[in-house]
Amino acid sequence: MMRRLIWRILPYAPALLILFVWWVYWTIKQPPPSVIPAITDVIKTGFELAGGRLGTDFLASMSRLLGGAAFGMITGVIAGFIAGLYRPIATFFNPLVVFFNAISGIVWLPLVIGWLGIGNALAIFLIWNTVFFIVFQNTVLGVQLVPEVLELGVRSLGGSRWETIRSVTLPGALPYILAGFRSGLGFGWRALIAAELVGATTGLGQLIFSGSEYHRADIIIFGALLIGGIAMLMDRWLLVPIERRTVQRWGLVAPDRRR
Amino acid sequence: MSADKIVVSGFRHYFQSESGPVQATGVIDVTIREGEVVTLVGPSGCGKTTLLKAIAGFINPSEGQILCDGHQVRGPGRERGVVFQELAILPWRTVRRNIAHGLEIARVPKPERDRTVDRLIGLMGLVGFEDRYPHELSGGMRQRVAVARTWAADPAVILMDEPFAAVDAMTRLTLQEELGRLCATTHKTVFFITHSVEEAVFLGDRVLVMTKRPGTIKAVLDVPRHGKGGRDWDSFTGDPEMRAISEQVMHLVHAERV
Ligand SMILES: Nc1ncnc2c1ncn2[C@@H]1O[C@H](COP(=O)(O)OP(=O)(O)O)[C@@H](O)[C@H]1O
Ligand SMILES: [Mg+2]
Repeated sequence: MMRRLIWRILPYAPALLILFVWWVYWTIKQPPPSVIPAITDVIKTGFELAGGRLGTDFLASMSRLLGGAAFGMITGVIAGFIAGLYRPIATFFNPLVVFFNAISGIVWLPLVIGWLGIGNALAIFLIWNTVFFIVFQNTVLGVQLVPEVLELGVRSLGGSRWETIRSVTLPGALPYILAGFRSGLGFGWRALIAAELVGATTGLGQLIFSGSEYHRADIIIFGALLIGGIAMLMDRWLLVPIERRTVQRWGLVAPDRRR
Repeated sequence: MSADKIVVSGFRHYFQSESGPVQATGVIDVTIREGEVVTLVGPSGCGKTTLLKAIAGFINPSEGQILCDGHQVRGPGRERGVVFQELAILPWRTVRRNIAHGLEIARVPKPERDRTVDRLIGLMGLVGFEDRYPHELSGGMRQRVAVARTWAADPAVILMDEPFAAVDAMTRLTLQEELGRLCATTHKTVFFITHSVEEAVFLGDRVLVMTKRPGTIKAVLDVPRHGKGGRDWDSFTGDPEMRAISEQVMHLVHAERV
């Protein structure tokens, strides 16, 4: 019980340590606020923003992120299954995938602004572009690594091709699919902020951009803390519990220490 | 005399590889009659698994044909259940749901499914482990689940490929006795592959001996059965007749050492 509680709290310790070092450094050196602001200024700015534009920016960013990521995950898993199950298809499309995967979404940004205009569609496209390839490649690998004997077993129980996909391939590939979701979400945040810096009028990316225009380091750091914090919480409260209930429960990956 | 259940005639198989075709078996003819347990013993690499996979319908024979109930085998089917050497039960299903899988596929109603599963859980000594996942079980327990899963689907023919090879020697003795009882009480047609002479004689009504690679059937020996039910190791080892057969098989197998 005690152990469990400790392991719940302990992973936050490094973050707290960094904040502490920052506070000590600032107290001793007193640097100009445009270089590094005081921790208290950042908190104050946070409250000020919360009374102002923060709600709109937060909701705009979250809806873009979730929309783009969900779109990327769904299409990535479906395409990954098709390519993973039919090797000729994977071989056929491989050069194209390598080609597009190498090109960061930012490259498309100027073009896509022309096609989709500034706003949600643009951000969602760039997030999709990032999440899709990560999830796709993980899914293909996961599908191909499911031991063949598991499928043969279900076939000899009278299972159809669809039954083997449902009861063998899907759960068998899940560790890789979830790993793809986790890193896809992380990179999705990067794509979102990049897209919002130039391709939107609202959102956390715009908030940070406005901070840089007025040399407001406190706004920039507050934005960074918020983005990193949300990403951390989403990982620990959304994806980690799914992993714990599935692939860890089934003994496919080693359980983490928090059980 | 029972009807012929599985008839393998003129079977020979080649695998395609980078450096051309690899001959996996010689020409093989085997007949398995309904309700009998046929065991096949042979040196490693002689083609035992290849033959079993062809009967299961997982591979297309390069030559010859395989009949099940007079119909040519064209693919896997629920009338031919398979217990694999590697563990083939699903890690994401509990013991109960693994055993029930074949019945779920056949859309057997839940009450009847539960009855069958409960009976097999009892027969295979899995009581108390129903809701465990495979990774929480010992190797012997997992193989019990694999056997129970195949039996629950109620196939007419059961094909087993060295199912106890990876189990420790003590547990293996128990599993062999349990399997013998299961075969005797359910009257299934069983084809059982092993590289252990003792296991082949202990379980079989007939023992087939294969030559080394590319394997053909070298000898067929009948193992008489006294009384109903499976054999047990105590009376088996004390029985001079069984010892004589085992020795005979041993000589045949030793000549094929690789
Ligand atoms: N997929 C394959 N491709 C090429 N060669 C194979 C393949 N499977 C088996 N073989 C070869 O065929 C022979 C018979 O294999 P197998 O039936 O697995 O033997 P056993 O089960 O008796 O040990 C072996 O020499 C093996 O190397
Ligand atoms: Mg083998």
